[in-house]
Amino acid sequence: MPRTLSYETEEQTEINLSPMIDCIFILLIFFIVTTVFVEEPGVEIVKPIARTQEELEKNSILIAVTNDNKIVYGGKEFSISGIGTRVRQLLHQNDYPVIIQGDVHAEHGMVSKLWTEVKIAGAKKISVSTQR
Amino acid sequence: MFRKSLTAESDDTTEINLSPMIDCIFILLIFFIVTTVFVEESGIQINKPDASAAPPPEEDADPVVFEITADNRIIYAGNAIGLKAVSNQVRQKLTRDEVPVSIRSHEKASHGLFMQVWDEVELAGATKISFSTFN
Repeated sequence: MPRTLSYETEEQTEINLSPMIDCIFILLIFFIVTTVFVEEPGVEIVKPIARTQEELEKNSILIAVTNDNKIVYGGKEFSISGIGTRVRQLLHQNDYPVIIQGDVHAEHGMVSKLWTEVKIAGAKKISVSTQR
Repeated sequence: MFRKSLTAESDDTTEINLSPMIDCIFILLIFFIVTTVFVEESGIQINKPDASAAPPPEEDADPVVFEITADNRIIYAGNAIGLKAVSNQVRQKLTRDEVPVSIRSHEKASHGLFMQVWDEVELAGATKISFSTFN
């Protein structure tokens, strides 16, 4: 018995890394699963307040209408016909729902036009984002 | 000497060096942590009456029509009403039947007011809501 003890102290000490690897794997899997690659518009939008809202799908196409009536998608400005083509391309790959982030001070006409354009592009579900 | 070291190694329990793998996993982990965005999007699904596809619905009930003017006033049955009165009007109409509600909005009206009216109508319990735009 004392012999084995002395034998152990002679060996090079190493930390057992396996439990740490397990932990890291679990973290990794969690982040892989929760990651959605959503392109955010990247502009400041003041959302209208609503009480009857529902949670929207995370994996969607987010299009913003700013308070000076510009359409922004993925950090770039689009024309009304340009966004139609872009959305058609995106929907061609996968059937995403579309969320319109309209600013409180945006004109209703612009949001309406965008809605129509996205609908024509073939979106099944179009929502307007709100806040509580 | 060479022979001796070889035999000494084979005596040991063989272990795989895991450190490079951990490095890789850490890099992956950091990548996913950085790219994760916890988007909390909430909103309302809005719809227009589909003009082309469906035949016009049976006029069993007169739709309740709210109009939003360019200067952001809400018009119902010819007179301007406040935002709070919208849900009351809808509730009165809903007592008898499932009434479709239509929101006609001027294109210069603010999006915020439009959504507030939509919210009020939905809060009153209407399920068939649609919007249209005029100029």
